[in-house]
Amino acid sequence: MNASANQRSRKTLACTQAATDYQKAFGKELRRRVVEDREPYAIVQADTPHELFHAMDIPIITNQWWSAYISAKQLSSRYFDAMVAKGYPANSCKYCSLGLACTLANEPETAPWGGLPTPTVMVARLTCDCIQHVFGQWSEAMGSEFFPMEAPAWTDADPDWFAHSRSDWERVYQPDRIAHMVDEMRDLIALLENRTGRRFDEGRFHHLMEQINVQEGHIWEAAQAIGAARPCPVSIAEQMPNTMIPQWHRGSDWAVAHAKAFRDEVLDLVARGHGASSNERRRLMWIGAGVWHDPGFYQALEEKMGAVFVWSMYMPFAGPAYIRDLKGKPMEALASRIASMNETLHLPPWMNGWMVSEAQRCGIDAAVMLLPPDNRLSQSGNKLTAAALREAGVPVLMIDADMVDAKVWDHDRMVGMVEDFLLAEGAAA
Amino acid sequence: MTQIATAGPCLPHQLLRAAGCHAGPLAFDHDRTPTRAEAFMESKFMPWAPLVLDHWLAGDYDHLDAVLFSRADDTSQRLFYYLSELRRTGRAGGPEPLIFDVAKIPRPTSAARTETKLRELAERLNVTAAALNDALTPAETSIPANDPVCLVTGTPAPDDRLNDAIRNAGFAPVAETLAQQWSEDAPCEPADDPFAALATALHALDSGPRAFADPAARMARRIAETQAQAVVVWRIEEDEAQTWQLPAERRALELSGVPHLVLTRRDWFGRDGAADEITALLKGLAR
Repeated sequence: MNASANQRSRKTLACTQAATDYQKAFGKELRRRVVEDREPYAIVQADTPHELFHAMDIPIITNQWWSAYISAKQLSSRYFDAMVAKGYPANSCKYCSLGLACTLANEPETAPWGGLPTPTVMVARLTCDCIQHVFGQWSEAMGSEFFPMEAPAWTDADPDWFAHSRSDWERVYQPDRIAHMVDEMRDLIALLENRTGRRFDEGRFHHLMEQINVQEGHIWEAAQAIGAARPCPVSIAEQMPNTMIPQWHRGSDWAVAHAKAFRDEVLDLVARGHGASSNERRRLMWIGAGVWHDPGFYQALEEKMGAVFVWSMYMPFAGPAYIRDLKGKPMEALASRIASMNETLHLPPWMNGWMVSEAQRCGIDAAVMLLPPDNRLSQSGNKLTAAALREAGVPVLMIDADMVDAKVWDHDRMVGMVEDFLLAEGAAA
Repeated sequence: MTQIATAGPCLPHQLLRAAGCHAGPLAFDHDRTPTRAEAFMESKFMPWAPLVLDHWLAGDYDHLDAVLFSRADDTSQRLFYYLSELRRTGRAGGPEPLIFDVAKIPRPTSAARTETKLRELAERLNVTAAALNDALTPAETSIPANDPVCLVTGTPAPDDRLNDAIRNAGFAPVAETLAQQWSEDAPCEPADDPFAALATALHALDSGPRAFADPAARMARRIAETQAQAVVVWRIEEDEAQTWQLPAERRALELSGVPHLVLTRRDWFGRDGAADEITALLKGLAR
């Protein structure tokens, strides 16, 4: 086995440890509020309007975060097996269903936190064919209520959406789509007020949206600096937690302060000419969800080939996806984000338009793209994006692999594929 | 005359007929090898999608003015975006891809959006209320007369290949092919406001992967309506949606007491012996 297999990624930023520590403490606090104090709470998908819950001080458990928590405890195979034993096909989409599998397994003795109590509501945006079935059955199994949100068709497509998303968002995200999402969010607020007795405070919400702009502005500034710096000062393994953990808590005092501290640390590293790798000769782009069960993968070819992964979507996405000139319309501004997060990452022309622009901004020499074999949503838009990148002069390697299932990820084989690709493309000089 | 073909469930066929532009469900060759499409389309799409894309890239749909896709089906709506991009970048020509933004969530906001989108399409096609009312006729339901019925549920089949096996075993198939799903009218009578009436019917239509109706209850109802003597649940590998209802459907089948066969993760083209398995079930019942 390659020496990089099973290695932990190098962490050099003080911010990274601080973010991880905060998230651990948050997990304990969330457990106290949800499990011990039995506060009303919600289970929500990552691409739903968390801000409404934050503004009402209603705890949320994000499905993707809960899935990662279950996986980290090595329980995913056990619960998926239990789901098959209950009659579900073994090939059913695993991307969003681990929480449902945990509930159906009904094993308080193994489940994290002893299992979750009944949530007040469960919220998902219908971005694929299966999510309404997963959340519908999950809410039924938990005795809860499912609040689905539409993913309305986006017919006025601007391939340069990312260049106009801050100031011209009403046009970019299509007025009728924004209006529809606002209507749905108003319905959700009414439901939450009715079920929890907590009130939605417009002023607090407006302030939250302003703070999110400040927070994501810091992240965007850091992303710009990272893209321009040679060598890359921060690995993607550190870009991700310093973006995503504050994003789970977006708009909070801690999140804004952390984003600022991260930006400052990045700018300091850039000023000192620090490189995440000491041997950066070729800059790689990683397209797809992170392979966090094998962080050593990203650094496996640094020493041998000078190949450094400098880009993944999480950090640079913060700018175009989150920052909005509010124009006194914070609900509409939020709706423009909710109506587009999935589409811009997985559908043409938004995905390919943005990825090509980012490759050019960051001086990318080659891209490695994950193509999960069993998930249409995660696959979607990849081949058109690969074609667009190639047309822009960026060679692309597509890897057929599942980022969720560590059992089928072969570290040595994957590293070998990247090495062969770089050699063939002459991008590893 | 404008010609618009359909490629997805939950579409306003009556509106297209009222406009005189309905070209029927988009036709494609099931036996085609979609080599052109492989450059742009990933593996997990429903198997009809690469075939359609391949025909499109070959110019086989150039006689059409537009193709209407549906947001009530994930593959259909993604193919709309793919084709829009391929045309924008000059990689494809052919008809204009359109999407009918049918919203299926059982909530007033979704019903209202469906009506708005229906009215927009009507305006584009210059369809009046009177013309639409003329096109609104009650949906026909036909139940085979003599032979015992075998109800097939699950993924719409590409053609009659499973039905032929059922007929050869002495049963009458009640099943839906993809072309039939793409042609299914939302049941709607003429009304004072036919646009509102048709939108309500489309919003409530209980077929297709994004329907909110209880599929197990729907199956039980269909068993009763057709007086089925056998049921086949047939789902293909790429079916990401209704496959989640399988446990509930199994329970409904057990409750019904009707002999049944559950086939999951199957090949849409039927190259995996599904027809033989169905034949074995039905011939066993006939003995």
